[in-house]
Amino acid sequence: MVSKRFVAKRLLLLGPVLFGVATVVFAILHLSPGDPALTIAGERASQEFVEEVRSNLGLDDPLWEQYLRFLRETATLQFGQSYQIQRGTPVSSILANRLPITIELAILGQIAGLSFGLPLGILSAVKQDTLTDHFTRVGALAGISVPIYWSGPLLILLFAQILGVLPTSGRISSSYFVDTTTGLILVDTLLEGNLEAFRSAVTHLLMPVVVLGIYSMAFISRMMRSSMLEVIRQDYMRTARAKGQGEKITVMKHGLRNAFIPVITIIGIQFGSLLGGSVLTETVFEINGIGTLLVTAIEQSDYPVVQATVLVFAFLYTLVNLFVDITYSVLDPRIDQ
Amino acid sequence: MSTETPQSSDVERNVVERLRASPFLQELLSNRIAVFGLFIIGTMFAVAIYARLTYDLDAIVDTMFNANPTQAPPSAEFWFGTDGQARDVFPRVLYGAWYALKFGTATVLASTVLGIAAGIVAAYYGDLTDNVIMRTMDVLLSFPSLLLALALVTIFPESLGLWRAVAALTLVYTPRFARVVRGAALKILEDEYIDATYALGATDPRLLVRHVLPNCLAPITVQSTLNYGLAIIDIAALSFLGFGASPGDPSWGMMLSEGVERGLFSGAWWWSFFPGLFLALTVLGFNLLGDGMRDALDPRMRDTVD
Repeated sequence: MVSKRFVAKRLLLLGPVLFGVATVVFAILHLSPGDPALTIAGERASQEFVEEVRSNLGLDDPLWEQYLRFLRETATLQFGQSYQIQRGTPVSSILANRLPITIELAILGQIAGLSFGLPLGILSAVKQDTLTDHFTRVGALAGISVPIYWSGPLLILLFAQILGVLPTSGRISSSYFVDTTTGLILVDTLLEGNLEAFRSAVTHLLMPVVVLGIYSMAFISRMMRSSMLEVIRQDYMRTARAKGQGEKITVMKHGLRNAFIPVITIIGIQFGSLLGGSVLTETVFEINGIGTLLVTAIEQSDYPVVQATVLVFAFLYTLVNLFVDITYSVLDPRIDQ
Repeated sequence: MSTETPQSSDVERNVVERLRASPFLQELLSNRIAVFGLFIIGTMFAVAIYARLTYDLDAIVDTMFNANPTQAPPSAEFWFGTDGQARDVFPRVLYGAWYALKFGTATVLASTVLGIAAGIVAAYYGDLTDNVIMRTMDVLLSFPSLLLALALVTIFPESLGLWRAVAALTLVYTPRFARVVRGAALKILEDEYIDATYALGATDPRLLVRHVLPNCLAPITVQSTLNYGLAIIDIAALSFLGFGASPGDPSWGMMLSEGVERGLFSGAWWWSFFPGLFLALTVLGFNLLGDGMRDALDPRMRDTVD
């Protein structure tokens, strides 16, 4: 059962956190040394024109007025217009196009991480202190240690350039035109019933997802191992064995269920590094998600885009953690304290 | 006055005995994975110091078109080949160890100190102070770390180079230390000897620094070790994305960025391969050690299944 009190409490906490997040983002951008008015007007613009741009943007208003306006706009998801990247386009529409791309990558990476991380963690725990365990553990730590911006390019070199079996970059071959319905390329191609395009998207996404998945796989298998180790020693496990139940069923039925619960929390926390990883993955594989958008926006001092992108990343992370906490309370009713 | 001054050999023996008796160190040193991590880190520190003492920074940053071939593959003369500016990659990769450890250490030290200060103050003064500090930390923790670092980097002037990345990442990591320290400090503050010290008239700073802090060191050390690897990989990531090292710097992140962009797909794999390999190895070393430390501190991990 979901405790209504717990969910209500978590939802109430969401407000102040998001308010704090927005304040931090506002502060960061106003502490930045660049002058947005000058950036838009151009280096060679006259002083009057720069001032005109500044007053048009409301950048000469008192700081608290700008802050209140920023909060109001953020609350209504109006992030203003892009200065540079797509000059004059509302930031919200740029985000609407790009966000699904990043979400799809993150979800696929998470699925890949879970489907390899969980079995490896269980295997490692059941065979504690054997060669299999050591191998899996060191492998997991190696997975976290290898930077995406090194393994990614090396994979491209091997599979795209030398072997020529996978495409180098992007999400789908440019010869396919797929209507954007959900923005998720795998879903859109299937909705159109275009299997050729779907296959192209799969081959394009394979390497980015593997690179991202290895990262979360390592975290998850580590957590699953230590959680499983704790559960294996519980009395009910001994009871299950004592009544003559096979080891496999004991581990799978009694162990897994209980060991999985703490792992869920790590999935939420680890989602943050997955989002950070997606910025690097998008850069390496030239995928136009909000990760590459952020990097370009910072390079070009496109403040409204930077602001909105960082906010969206933080919102996404916070919401996933909220969802995880609620799931956790459903699976383990003791958490409602 | 006849005070017994112990012989230095006695002191040494005493220290060794105490180290031997420490279950934490025993556990750690019997953990082969952690010892392997320690070995990698030790080697990297040696490499870093060797490179710092042997090579002249200008000589490995300057282009060498007149002296060396451009993008030459690894050979007896150039062990790791040469890059697009005809620079020998080998000394640059070794010097990268110095850069990584220097800036990594700075990041970890700064965030540890800030985190300790924030955590201990929050735990000791409680109430409003605690709430203000910890809610601020919560907000900072609601950002994915690399993304907060990317946003923060923009505050600092470009001329700071890699220190820009250090400053941004310090702010990103501080909340983690603050949380760990606050948790540990809260537990210690309940102990009786704290009341006793307080009753003896110890000032707040003395109480916190002499009595609370030393007892929080174990969790802080583990957190620092795990964050060390993270700091090195994140500094390199920021450089790779273009926010940190300047072009030509012998930092692994910058070499990777230049090598991937200009060399990797035109055949000069060595340009980015070796910096990446050293980076991955160093980070692995810290992760192996940190993992072993955590196991050694965690009593649940001690016994094998009966």
